[in-house]
Amino acid sequence: MTAPILEISNLHLSLVGGGGRVNILRGIDLTVTAGETLSIAGPSGAGKTTLLMALAGLERPSSGLVWVAGLDLAGLDEDGLARFRRRQIGIVFQSFHLVATMTALENAALPLEFAGADDARERAAEALNSVGLGDRLAHFPGQLSGGEQQRVALARAFVAQPALLLADEPTGNLDRATGERVMDLLFSLQAEYGTTLLLVTHDEVLAGRCGRRLLMTDGRLSEPGAP
Amino acid sequence: MRDPALLPLAWRLAQRELRSGLRGFGVFLACLFLGVFAIAAIGSFSAAAHRGLLADARALLGGDLEIELHQRELIPEQRRSLGTRGEISEVVELRTMARVADGDRRALVELKAVDDAYPLYGALESLPPAGVAALDRVENGAFGALVEATLLQRLGVEVGATLEVGAARLRIVGVLTREPDRTLGAFSLGPRLLIGPAGLAATGLIQPGSLVNYAYRLRLPAGTDAAKVKTELQDSFPAAGWRVRTWEEAAPRVRRFLDRMTLNLTLVGLCALLVGGLGVAGAVRGYLDGKVVNIATMKCLGASGRTIFTGYLLQVLMLAALGAGFGVAAGATFPAVAVWLAGDRLPIPVQLGIYPLPLATAALFGLLISLVFSLQALGSARRIPPALLFRGYSGEERPAAGNGVRAAIVATATCLALLAVFSSSDKRLALWFIVGAVACFALFRGLALLVIAAARRSRRPRHPGLRLALANIHRPGSPAGSAIFSLGLGLTALVIVALVQANLTRLVTETVPAEAPAFFVLDLQPAQVAPFEALVAGLPGVTRHDLFPTLRGRIVAIAGTPVEQAAIAPGVQWAVHGDRYLSYSGVLPPGTELTAGSWWPADYSGPPLLSLTADLAKGFGVKVGDTLTVNVLGRNITATIASLRNVDWSTLQLNFALLFSPGVLEAAPHSSIATVYVPPAGEEAVFRAVTDRFPNVSMIGVREVLANVEGTLERIAVAFRAMAAVALLCGFLVLGGAVSADQHRRLRDAVIFKVCGATRGDLLIAFGAEFLLLGLAAGAIAALVGSLAAWAIVAGPMSAPFKLAPLTLLLTLVAGLSLTLFLGLAGTWRALGQRPAPWLREE
Repeated sequence: MTAPILEISNLHLSLVGGGGRVNILRGIDLTVTAGETLSIAGPSGAGKTTLLMALAGLERPSSGLVWVAGLDLAGLDEDGLARFRRRQIGIVFQSFHLVATMTALENAALPLEFAGADDARERAAEALNSVGLGDRLAHFPGQLSGGEQQRVALARAFVAQPALLLADEPTGNLDRATGERVMDLLFSLQAEYGTTLLLVTHDEVLAGRCGRRLLMTDGRLSEPGAP
Repeated sequence: MRDPALLPLAWRLAQRELRSGLRGFGVFLACLFLGVFAIAAIGSFSAAAHRGLLADARALLGGDLEIELHQRELIPEQRRSLGTRGEISEVVELRTMARVADGDRRALVELKAVDDAYPLYGALESLPPAGVAALDRVENGAFGALVEATLLQRLGVEVGATLEVGAARLRIVGVLTREPDRTLGAFSLGPRLLIGPAGLAATGLIQPGSLVNYAYRLRLPAGTDAAKVKTELQDSFPAAGWRVRTWEEAAPRVRRFLDRMTLNLTLVGLCALLVGGLGVAGAVRGYLDGKVVNIATMKCLGASGRTIFTGYLLQVLMLAALGAGFGVAAGATFPAVAVWLAGDRLPIPVQLGIYPLPLATAALFGLLISLVFSLQALGSARRIPPALLFRGYSGEERPAAGNGVRAAIVATATCLALLAVFSSSDKRLALWFIVGAVACFALFRGLALLVIAAARRSRRPRHPGLRLALANIHRPGSPAGSAIFSLGLGLTALVIVALVQANLTRLVTETVPAEAPAFFVLDLQPAQVAPFEALVAGLPGVTRHDLFPTLRGRIVAIAGTPVEQAAIAPGVQWAVHGDRYLSYSGVLPPGTELTAGSWWPADYSGPPLLSLTADLAKGFGVKVGDTLTVNVLGRNITATIASLRNVDWSTLQLNFALLFSPGVLEAAPHSSIATVYVPPAGEEAVFRAVTDRFPNVSMIGVREVLANVEGTLERIAVAFRAMAAVALLCGFLVLGGAVSADQHRRLRDAVIFKVCGATRGDLLIAFGAEFLLLGLAAGAIAALVGSLAAWAIVAGPMSAPFKLAPLTLLLTLVAGLSLTLFLGLAGTWRALGQRPAPWLREE
């Protein structure tokens, strides 16, 4: 049996807001093996994005365990989590989150640059080539369409060949046709690199393309149809 | 339907927009406040000092009118004429040595003998109180004397001690606390010793040719016009060779010094305001960038470009009035604060009050600067297309300001330049300042673009933090341009001030003493010349001595034109303000270089000839063959210029601007002046030997004088450094504003970098390296431009050799660099600590 790339056990996460403490994740358990594709659906405010952030080490759980690629995230400090992200995690956001003042090439090269890779630019150029943006390397995000920006984000997410790719509504800001093209690209890259994919989406069709479909409701994760 | 009136509509718009408060205008207000405050403070202080001088003018002059003569008294006819016009007070001044009667200590003093009528105006104060009547009272064979406290310290004595001056014994009856006719004591060579006429006579110091000044002060009957009396006296005695001044002309040197300081400090203050203008421009641009959607919406709803422009212009003017208003208010209180802080240490009288003209000038400077630096952004806002509501706005495509606004910018800048010129006492210098400021702006803008281009094209470093730092410098919206421009200008001002001061101090403390004499010896009587030369030649350590006969005279005509009507360059005006030391020589003095004409034969006995220094000839506009008329002891002597000489005054070698041929001055009563060269170890022995043997002479220690000059330079430099610091502070404010405007982008970038795996260390290196590089670039540019400008000032108008002061330069730059780094990191600290999740959730 393939070793699990992701193990979550009894994960709780609560945040303090203006109205007091809110329990967002209420005991999540999940095991994912390497190369799997999973979708997470659920109503707004159910905790889908928070779960992705906890898996990326961007939010600290209140309790419970998160193991990614054999690492216990609770044992890492802020900089340790940053190093973990640059090696193991790729993230694609709904609103792209590119650095507006950096070119497509510079954006795509960021994780490799932070990892100290000497060939960061060359590999970033390859990644952009693979998403069909070889002729847009020197363009700034403001000079690219939404679909192109998301493709730059995909290139950035895959460039360091992470073990786990987290995608949060990656087509939410794109029209259907563009969204479909971007998703085709995402799944083909995932297949090419054997990356584990965790996809948050409201799109039934998109969710249908994943090997496992999960449902998040009120901070709890369920897997309809699972035995 | 009629169009609504523009102004009321724009006014309503401005009011509504300002409802959100002054957020985003901190740098705008602070820059304007600082710049206007600096100019208003200098102007107010200068006006208060001028008014103070005028209010105390009669006391400072010593009367309604003063007649000054050198080396001779009024002739009886003149004295009679004076006596018919009012009450006379006679004051005699000379420099001499005072020694402790029963001790060994001695010191150079500024001796002043006053009669019973002194002072005609103001009050003489001492501790314990002792009027002038106490001065001529003899006790135990000693006359009374009042002294400055510093003389007691120098001689190590107390009130009651007895001093010897010349042949007289003087008993110290009190310490002078107020001498109404004395200002700016910093320029005197020794402490004051005040005695009466009988005490003076007892000293025996008044000999033919002694370097003595006689002043006759007149108190005129109430309502008498002093200027009219002056004219009458000059008409009655046209060849008197005296200097007559009315109370309105009192303390001319102080006034000139004050005017010069005011002008120079105002120009540095204006430099601060110009740097602050960049902060104004940045703030207005940032504010209007945030209003783009509002403006487009209003235009969609029918607002015209003019309405938008006028509405936001009114806001800028209101804010400018606020910033300038605070600056003016603070500047108006500056003289009072200075008086409160400095108290009696202020060397000039200051009359506190509100002086509207300098305050209005400062406010006008502030308003014009606000306009010049905000019109571009306002013009751009006027042309924002309403269609951007539908197709988005990226901020990098600001519309051009348009020709009308460009013309308005040029017109406002011209008004600013005209104000600078017409409010200045030296129009030529103000014009040069404007040319320099425009050149500086062009230069720094160009250099900023060059640094940004260099960052774009440079090889990418291996370290990701450094790569990010470089990318941050050349990316669109980077604060690099502002940083290099504003910081560079501020640092340049500081470098110029620091280097000029370092060079002047070096000139005084290092260059001069190496080749300067140890002593100047004044008032050697003709009979003392030979014994003096024999004495010093035999003293151990004396390597050289020079001696010239000397007397004083005043230039009254240049090439036949009276000096009052002659065109004289500002740089040599000093030569016609009062008397000059003159001498004569048959042979060319050693170390003198003739630049034109030829030296007369040693046994020359023809008509009077004159050798003039080349700088005076140039300033007077005369050449070899022209004439100069000099009044010596009341007699006008017209001499033909036979040669021109170059003299290096910085060596302090004995030399004269005016050297006459033999046969002209020998007959006039005169004394001699000498210099003695001796290493520091032998100075004390020489000092004692000469003053023991010749009690009447004055020995001036060059080392002591240079220390005084250095102290004065230091005090002046403090004022300039403070002004330059204001310019630098404005530079930091501008940088702070640019970093602050960039804060949101930095937060966003930091979050994305963290998501991509950047540690806090990576971000710290990236942001730190960015500001370090910017600081280095600004510092290097400031070092280069500042050094060049300092060289131009020192080698040009000051005619002194320039030398880089590496430590001063380094310290200035390190300070600038550290502050840049601190400011940059302080502005980005939030970005370092920003947790990504909340930000990502909000976005």
